[in-house]
Amino acid sequence: MSEALHAEWTKLRTLPGTVWILLGILALTVGLGAVVTATVRYGGPGTSTDLTRLSLTGIELSQAMVAVFAVQAVGGEYSSGMIRVTLTAMPRRWTVLGAKAIVTGGLTLAVGAAGVAGALLAGRILLLANGFTAAHGFSALTPADGPTLRAAIGSALYLALVALLSLGIAAALREPAVAIGAVLGLLYLFPLVVGMVQNQSWHRHLEQIGPMTAGLEIQATVNTGGLPISPWAGLGVLALWAVGSLGCGGLALVLRDA
Amino acid sequence: MTTATVPPPYRSDLKLGNDGFVQLLHAEWTKFRTVRGWVVAAAVAVAVMALISISAATGGKGANCVNGKCQRGPSDPIGPYGVSVTDSFYFVHQTLDGDGSITARISSLTDAIQPDPQGQGGAPPAGASVPWAKAGIIVKQSTTLGSQYAAVMATVGNGVRMQYNYEHDVAGNLGAASSASPAWLRLVRSGTTLTGYDSADGTHWTEIGTADLTGLASTVQVGLFATSPGYNDNQYVFGGLNSDSFNSLATAQFDNLALGGGWSGDAWNGDAIGGADGQYQQTGSGFTVQGGNGDITPDVPDDDTARLALSGAFAGLIALIVIAAMFMTTEYRRGLLRTTLAASPRRGRVLAAKAVVVGAVSFAVGLVAAAVSVPVFNRLWSPDAFYPVGALTEARVVLGTAALLAVVAVFTLALATLMRRSTAVITTVIILVIMPYFLATTSVLTPGPSDWLLRLTPAAGFAIQQTIPRFAQLTNVYTPTDGFYPLAPWSGFAVLCAYTAVALGAALLVLRRRDA
Amino acid sequence: MEATIEVNGLRKRFGPTVALDDLSFTVKPGSVTGFVGPNGAGKSTTMRVVLGLDSVDAGTALIGGKPYRSLRHPLSHVGSLLDPAALQPSRSARNHLLWLAHSQGLSAGRVDEILETSGLERVARRRAGGYSLGMRQRLGLAAAMLADPPVLMLDEPFNGLDPEGIVWMRGFLRSLAAQGRAVLVSSHLMGELQGTATHLVVIGRGRLVADTGVSELIDAASGGRVALRTTARSEAMTVLANAGATVAVTGPDTLTVTGPSSERIMALLSEGGVPFSEVSAHRATLEEAYMELTRDSVEFRAAESGFVRTDGEVAR
Repeated sequence: MSEALHAEWTKLRTLPGTVWILLGILALTVGLGAVVTATVRYGGPGTSTDLTRLSLTGIELSQAMVAVFAVQAVGGEYSSGMIRVTLTAMPRRWTVLGAKAIVTGGLTLAVGAAGVAGALLAGRILLLANGFTAAHGFSALTPADGPTLRAAIGSALYLALVALLSLGIAAALREPAVAIGAVLGLLYLFPLVVGMVQNQSWHRHLEQIGPMTAGLEIQATVNTGGLPISPWAGLGVLALWAVGSLGCGGLALVLRDA
Repeated sequence: MTTATVPPPYRSDLKLGNDGFVQLLHAEWTKFRTVRGWVVAAAVAVAVMALISISAATGGKGANCVNGKCQRGPSDPIGPYGVSVTDSFYFVHQTLDGDGSITARISSLTDAIQPDPQGQGGAPPAGASVPWAKAGIIVKQSTTLGSQYAAVMATVGNGVRMQYNYEHDVAGNLGAASSASPAWLRLVRSGTTLTGYDSADGTHWTEIGTADLTGLASTVQVGLFATSPGYNDNQYVFGGLNSDSFNSLATAQFDNLALGGGWSGDAWNGDAIGGADGQYQQTGSGFTVQGGNGDITPDVPDDDTARLALSGAFAGLIALIVIAAMFMTTEYRRGLLRTTLAASPRRGRVLAAKAVVVGAVSFAVGLVAAAVSVPVFNRLWSPDAFYPVGALTEARVVLGTAALLAVVAVFTLALATLMRRSTAVITTVIILVIMPYFLATTSVLTPGPSDWLLRLTPAAGFAIQQTIPRFAQLTNVYTPTDGFYPLAPWSGFAVLCAYTAVALGAALLVLRRRDA
Repeated sequence: MEATIEVNGLRKRFGPTVALDDLSFTVKPGSVTGFVGPNGAGKSTTMRVVLGLDSVDAGTALIGGKPYRSLRHPLSHVGSLLDPAALQPSRSARNHLLWLAHSQGLSAGRVDEILETSGLERVARRRAGGYSLGMRQRLGLAAAMLADPPVLMLDEPFNGLDPEGIVWMRGFLRSLAAQGRAVLVSSHLMGELQGTATHLVVIGRGRLVADTGVSELIDAASGGRVALRTTARSEAMTVLANAGATVAVTGPDTLTVTGPSSERIMALLSEGGVPFSEVSAHRATLEEAYMELTRDSVEFRAAESGFVRTDGEVAR
């Protein structure tokens, strides 16, 4: 396994696009969060806003880059035919997928953690400037706050799980174009469909099973009792999606001719 | 060793047809239809689009439905155009038979926002005002709710206006009415035509506009009115809108009342129409009229059939983006483009043919999905369940949605020509087209940034799906989350087309310059 | 319109690399012209330039006197096979030819005709992604022949063919030339063109090395050498060297002698009493001739007839 890990790490490291995609993830996570926190204004008493979640809005955009990153890690090998070289060098296919998952997921986790830290820092500075001050009953964002810490760790994990989800789908579908369409469709369709369905119980159920709608509840820090699914359970739903897709991807890798 | 005899140059006797643009289109269409995956994906696009639209319909609720039974309630009067309206004001009136006129001077119009009676929402913020609080003179078919009318009025924040039949609003020539600068208003009835005038001094009159109220009865109710829509304190927070409503009461001082024509000469009647608050006092030749908790405007419905029946468009769009990207990137991936360009060396035509094919396929996907989902939707819901849009609007939404899919597909094709990598192209298009729509309509962003996203990004094109009209004279929450796009349907679509045109131009330039 | 490919003074750089350097040659009808050079010499680039796919910094490439991009029904003027892998894997051979046919205003009937002549009928409706390299070559050839062009340009058509296929391809190319078509065939292996090409265009590092008839080239490469078989190798070498000949050892009992004619050699050996079993005029293979030519292509410059070494010695 350690050889497989080393091999996958070397492959990913020497791919020219990797650095740019990872920088893109970082930039989008921090950037969109900063734009959002820079545009909200304190609107007087009674304003209740989840400042942590607001600062971490960038995740909703950067997950698209994470999906590209993970899909390329597998789909790129299929479209170039390199997968045959890989599987000749490492015939145990589950090991190959496992190594890919660890390397891709780990790298995403690291970059995601850096992005989340940057987004929270930007949010802390910008929100204070926009009137969300202690005088108005808001405390500055800090990892010392339990729910904020949970949201921060959870957001980085969220990105890593999205990477695994994408990896599994890419291994199952092989064609990178179709895989990226499927991943982004899966992520963004749920919230859009949920937005249209006004039947309360349908609405709630869809929110509970959508990989993005459920997974991002990990970012909620206020009014957590009113969520359709509790933060960690929501992240668990995404983890189930990731495990399921990796399972499908692994089966496709093992059963089909390379 | 040289061959002794060189054969004569070869002449083919093969019959060749034309090799114009039509043949090129035929070739590109053959390319498209012979890859089974693409045909399947187009079918999937139709299926997801129709399925999501239909499930949005079954999971949704009709605007006027209670426990699955849909009909308009008595509080929803139907206006002269067959759509529901708000018709609620305090009316001081007399009967006029035949032609005539009414003139009045407003020397003051004030509006008082009432504190929340339950005290839950607290007090309205300091400096709050209701710009559309109004008072003036009105000619109305009858006191029946939703009947035809024409009115000339002073408003708190929008100067003198002439409004008629709920949807029409014409600006007058004067600003806010006060004792220092009173507003003289006049309304002249001649048959079914009503003409509004205003004047600063009662001698020099300026026409504001005329209204033709088709079928106006000979006997009409004419008089003074006042009403105020109240104040909404809207706060946008993450995840939605917090809105506190406050009633308000408009108070207007009328004098110099002059009547001409066939007036009944009865006493003035004061009536609160449509559940409005209000009262009046007559002091000599003057009147004080108060009215609140109402308005005379069109209704803005929650949703409508045409829009909901096509709400799955973005789902079909993702499938079409993938197809359009691959239609170009597969040419690059294995060098197939060289074969294509050897067969058709005029590169601009090749790009055009590809764009036409991928655009036509997407347009067809949109039309077929609409042909499936609109009838199903109409069967699921009674016609009263949603805001009835006209046939023209419905056609615009159906064709416009299909055109939206087509233009996004062509945009994708152009970017694919520039970028050549399918994952990069698909992600870029989804980030440019779907993401802004997602961010703006799911309450992730506040209305300001949301509006800008839907103005500046290609996602502006989704405005083509807007059916619910937007009225300046109606205080309402016009945000993307509520189905209101910041741009008019065709301007939004034009933004998308502009992006596509630029991308196509760049693609053409690059395709011509770059070695294949 | 004469069916020709005329290339005049082509120059092209890819960044710092010079891909084509003042390249000129003409391909005439009724012959197979071999287009040879080592890998990376610029053969494929030249072909892409002729097809209007790549731009050039200078020079022109004309098909029957016209630039490719101005041709109507281009495939009826030039058929080309660049890369047999340039296929959409999920599209069948028949459908691949079908869209090409449509682009030239040809009917589906022509597609079936060409499938039959290229022997692809049985697999025509299968996914092209599953084809062997040999089948893809046949499909590529079918595409090139689709509009029955008088000029053909094939890039490495022997690649991936089995020995039987190579024999078939040689016969096919010869028959095309015999019909009066102009055929340009690139190859990096000279042996493949033996007995097929009647004319050669040799390039190296983007420059023309030779533009010559095959027989002239072989004559030049054979260059008056005589092969000698003898059991007394050292005695033979002494005798011949004393007579002023240049002798090279080519095997345990074979020598190559340059200088004297075979008659003179036989006389010298008989005089010296050296036994020998065979004296024959050496005939270079095309491959040898080519190796001689491209040993260091930079050292060669094109000349009107034959070629000139930089040291001034004229090889004939």
